[in-house]
Amino acid sequence: MGHERVAVVGIGQTKHEATRGDVSVAGLLREAAQRALADAEMTWTDVDAVVIGKAPDFFEGVMMPELFLADALGCTGKPMFRVHTAGSVGGSTAIVASQLISAGIHERVLTVAFEKQSESEAMWALSLPIPFTPPLHAGAGGYFAPHIRSYIRRAKAPDHIGMLVALKDRQNGLKNPYAHLHEHDISFDSIKESMMLWDPIRYAETCPSSDGACALVLGSEKVADEAKAQGRTPAWVQGTAMRSEPTLSAERDTVLPLGGALCAADVYRQAGITNPRKDVDAVEMYVPFSWFEPMWLENLGFAEPGEGWKMTEAGATAMDGDLPVNMSGGVLCTNPIGASGMLRFAEAAMQVRGTAGEHQIDGVRKAVGHAYGGGSQFFAMWVVGTEKP
Amino acid sequence: MTDRQDPGEILSAPLIIEYPFKRTTGPVIGAFLTGLRERVLVGSRAEDGRVLVPPAEFDPVSGEDLTELVEVGPQGVITTWAWVTQPHAKHPLDEPFAWVLVKLDGADTPMLGALAAPGIEAVSTGARVEPVWADEREGHIDDIAHWTLVDPEGGRA
Repeated sequence: MGHERVAVVGIGQTKHEATRGDVSVAGLLREAAQRALADAEMTWTDVDAVVIGKAPDFFEGVMMPELFLADALGCTGKPMFRVHTAGSVGGSTAIVASQLISAGIHERVLTVAFEKQSESEAMWALSLPIPFTPPLHAGAGGYFAPHIRSYIRRAKAPDHIGMLVALKDRQNGLKNPYAHLHEHDISFDSIKESMMLWDPIRYAETCPSSDGACALVLGSEKVADEAKAQGRTPAWVQGTAMRSEPTLSAERDTVLPLGGALCAADVYRQAGITNPRKDVDAVEMYVPFSWFEPMWLENLGFAEPGEGWKMTEAGATAMDGDLPVNMSGGVLCTNPIGASGMLRFAEAAMQVRGTAGEHQIDGVRKAVGHAYGGGSQFFAMWVVGTEKP
Repeated sequence: MTDRQDPGEILSAPLIIEYPFKRTTGPVIGAFLTGLRERVLVGSRAEDGRVLVPPAEFDPVSGEDLTELVEVGPQGVITTWAWVTQPHAKHPLDEPFAWVLVKLDGADTPMLGALAAPGIEAVSTGARVEPVWADEREGHIDDIAHWTLVDPEGGRA
């Protein structure tokens, strides 16, 4: 965090779908960006700079798409910045954008993250062949399944926890009109009966493949105070943190990554959070496979190691629990990979601003947005709140 | 080396990974490509009144949506060109040809094409050209097989 205060003053996202066959990549980004600008009561010309993020270029096969998207985002003749941190990029992108304001460089920054998975080959983009060895996994699920099995063994977690998470998030997603999946008939049994893809991850415990974009307008203290004076509540950025660790280092604990724990500790220190479970009112965390909810509850300090699944089982993370998690339906309902981290950050800000509609939790004063990426190695978090930091 | 493996015993399996990328073209570029299939060329009108070809989805200056499509051409004039003396396998024409920027009638910006011409002497800036359409068109830029001079005898001024 720099010296100047920063707040979220505009939020926009697309309707997320498996295939947004009605819009180009540029059109997809503009849909989210124009909604964020409208929310902030701004136009393209009000923006000082644009910060853009997406998952690796290999997904859509367009190298450095930020170059052709500058015009599409009203960025002609303005600074544009591209962020690369794999699946956590939506979070990292918002943080980089916030730093352009906290450093005192800009007053109003538009930040956009996207993925058009219908034009991508995400499965194979995530399964890069190592020369002279057979492919050992296909897609992210194959990579993360052993981490989950290790978690279940270490935490002595019962089998049904993952299914409880999937049921909760899919039901939360029904309240979110922008969510990709709206599975009205989902039940514990339908999840249990769905195909086992990567043991113990069932089909219904897996994120979808989505087209979508998310955009935020970030403003300086002056901009946010003006918005508040006009009746538009800003979400003040009370802390931001990023951490990363190497994929293949031998001492790495992929179940409880040190990078994630240090990221959480840093952002809580900035936001004055001493007891995360008590001090935080709502959390949007990056849960692409159901079991990551209990794993991240522990990694982010909401539960002791081995205890996270008990929070899930007891309903603490439900909409009416004491620590609602993934009110939007989360990554399990919507996964335009590059945008998924920013959607978490955006949902945290919506909760603080009181603009989350049917998935609003009453009285949220502090919310956490969390994203992770790569092989559980890139972490980005922010804390947003109703009070100035 | 006595322990050397007999090459005949080495197991092998094919590993073919393909990346069949798709693109959604959207309402404006999509209209341009659909037009090509029907032998119609369209541009979009910018906020300052200029007609951009191929069309842009948004104004290059203000960033606002551009929704007015304008039919242009099919003839136009060469604004600049470069002669290719030795075409290679990936080029659209087998014989020596010119890369040209063509400003279509009614357009304010030029678009790129390959011009078939009897020789470098026949090509000049300002010369009029028209598209030669592919027999089978599928809504792709290659639906314009190439461009040709309206008056191939015109020559260089």
